[in-house]
Amino acid sequence: MSQEQQTALLLLGVGGGGCRLAASVLASYGSGLRALGVDTDALSNRTAAAGGMTCLLLGGSRLAGHGTGGDAIQGRLAAQDDMQNILPHLQGVRTVVITACLGAGTGGGATPEIVKALHDMGLATICFVTRPFAFEGEARRKAAERVLPMIEENADSLVVVALDDLFSDAGGGLLTDAVQAAEGLLASGITLLWRLVSKPGFIQLDAERLHAMVLRGGNARFGFGSAEGAERASQVVAALRSCRLLRSGDAVSKANALLLGILAGRDLRLAEIGDIMGLVREACKSDCHVEMGTVLDPQYDGRIELVVLSFESWTAAVPVEPRKDTPPTQEPPVAEAFPIQPGSRKGRAKGSKLSFGTTGRGKFQNVEPTLFNGQDLDVPTFIRRGIALER
Amino acid sequence: MAIPPIAALEIGTTRTVMCVGETNESGRVKITGVGTYPTIGVRKGQVVDLSQARVGVESAAKQAEKQADVSIWQVLLATSGGHIQAGVNPGMVTIRSNDHVVSREDIEEVTENAKEVQVEADRQVLHTITQAFTVDDQPGIVKPEGMRCKVLTLNVMAVHGLKNRIDNAVNAAKSAQLDVSDVAFSGVCAALAVLTPEQKRNGVVLIDLGGGTTNYIAYCNNVISAVGCVAVGGDHVTNDIALAFNIPLNRAEEVKRAEGCAVIDAESGGRRVVLPADVGFEERVLSCKALHTVINARMDETFRMLRSRLDEAGVLPHLGGGVVLTGGGAYLRKATDLAQRVFGLPCRIGLPVNVDGLEKAEQPAALSTAAGLALYGRMTYEDRGLFSPVKNIFKGWFGR
Repeated sequence: MSQEQQTALLLLGVGGGGCRLAASVLASYGSGLRALGVDTDALSNRTAAAGGMTCLLLGGSRLAGHGTGGDAIQGRLAAQDDMQNILPHLQGVRTVVITACLGAGTGGGATPEIVKALHDMGLATICFVTRPFAFEGEARRKAAERVLPMIEENADSLVVVALDDLFSDAGGGLLTDAVQAAEGLLASGITLLWRLVSKPGFIQLDAERLHAMVLRGGNARFGFGSAEGAERASQVVAALRSCRLLRSGDAVSKANALLLGILAGRDLRLAEIGDIMGLVREACKSDCHVEMGTVLDPQYDGRIELVVLSFESWTAAVPVEPRKDTPPTQEPPVAEAFPIQPGSRKGRAKGSKLSFGTTGRGKFQNVEPTLFNGQDLDVPTFIRRGIALER
Repeated sequence: MAIPPIAALEIGTTRTVMCVGETNESGRVKITGVGTYPTIGVRKGQVVDLSQARVGVESAAKQAEKQADVSIWQVLLATSGGHIQAGVNPGMVTIRSNDHVVSREDIEEVTENAKEVQVEADRQVLHTITQAFTVDDQPGIVKPEGMRCKVLTLNVMAVHGLKNRIDNAVNAAKSAQLDVSDVAFSGVCAALAVLTPEQKRNGVVLIDLGGGTTNYIAYCNNVISAVGCVAVGGDHVTNDIALAFNIPLNRAEEVKRAEGCAVIDAESGGRRVVLPADVGFEERVLSCKALHTVINARMDETFRMLRSRLDEAGVLPHLGGGVVLTGGGAYLRKATDLAQRVFGLPCRIGLPVNVDGLEKAEQPAALSTAAGLALYGRMTYEDRGLFSPVKNIFKGWFGR
């Protein structure tokens, strides 16, 4: 694999949880992966850096490395302060994979800001974010819910994983084992992306295809299954379909596009790939777009792991190079005040929530608009920023 | 030479202010009369309804006349609006004398060159403010006279706006039977009234939070290095509140003044604000936190926008004197706290300390622009009245 393709992807961990995830991805993948961790807490930064990851401190001048104390606004401000420091790490990067745990200050506050900045630079972003556990309380859940639309607004693809779902199988185990297992699962999904594009396999997925997939795919669901033994091909699909993260197969059957990764040992047979693909195609819609890749790794001998990203809002009609120019047929009319910029995703339904047009202006209905950076400043800021108000 | 009383008129978006300033023996300006009246017919600093704007001007003038015991027929006018722009215009002169020593004539010539600002046909230059001389390639020279060099350069900050917008404001004053002798940019006026020499030396940014516009002016090393205006102000905050809670604009304005706060903090959590019933309006209860969230979002955005403008102008690292807020919006609770967070600089409210007579006024910072305009009138009196027929030549007086 050429150096360029390897480096076109960057893994970015945001906040304590995001850095830990990124570190475990790095650990399970080995060298050759570009990873960067950013956090406001110097201590957790140091731990992550010990694992060989490049780490940056956010908001050093504001928070002095003490973390945000759960305040998302502090996290956001910290990201704004130090966005400049992240830029040098983005050379040659086309697709950024972001991991973050929502609910607290840095993950919740800095992530939307970083995603927005990356999006403005024209990079494709795929965000793996986790929702907090139910036992972490209502406040954290609400904080996470509040942040999601802000990330969704600018992220090309958003994968939300509820920690409760992730741990559903490990209820009785020891805490450390459960955490490790869950992190391992999530990390394996993210690692798969790297393996698919960079490790030689029978059928490989190139970075450009992933880039296009992420751009066109929109929000995704993430799931996995694994099986061993003689009937492993059919079992692994069954395991995938019963995965809670995919809403027990519902996400597969409704998906408009699937990215399927087959991890197996050197004993993988061609017939097995055929079986798996056949079963997956049976499970999903007939016009579903399926991209697949295989990774052969000696440590998976005797086992098959299936990792899937299912995209429901896949827009098949968009040309492969949607960044150059927005296709006129696809775009719903957006208010003049919101010029469509290269890389803008206003065409998607969820982006169009910003096109208030004439309704959001109130007093300034018939006045010359105040435009700044393509935004109509007469429209209330809380609407443009997507801030939910407490009633 | 005695300077007659000066009348300064500011047709603001929320209210029209008329100040009468008299110069005492020591040269300080004392405000002897203040007239204010709520403005109608102005949006974002620009006149949209002449006849309605006239009513405000007439009422404010009457009030000020009565208080100062004068009769006003000529005024100075402060203007603002998103159309106001500023840019640096360099002037250059080659020193022709044999010894290459800069003479007084050279300085005059370069000043004249620099003030020949080229703007588009539909724009009018309001101010040309001298910055600093560059002697050959050595910048930042204050007094180049007697220095040896080949080329002398002077940078001038030119503030200009759209001619027809400025004329509209002038016409509003004229329709109230007032002659307009000069027009000045509100931000420059506010800086004259508020900023101290010490602050200008240290580097400071003045943010004038008006009703429809927010003006800013930054000093670095005694030199005006950034001037501008964004058409976002207190009206936007009110409008945001009205849209967020679906209440009329006047109720939104009331609740903003009574309960508004620029930061969301512990004391806003859980508290609720009651909007009493009125004719055709049921009693409403709002969450204080939601109210503060709406205000915070708007103010944060405004400050951030200014920050990015200042960053572009390259002045952000040179503001040792911090941020000074003035104008009516400065009285929004904790506005200074928010500015402090956004800019990372100390922030305080600036009162019109360079003029006398406003100590007892309610919210004196809201009068900064009009008071500063009177001061401006005193400073440019000679230019306008006796020595120079050219208006608007602003001889780099402030800052030095």
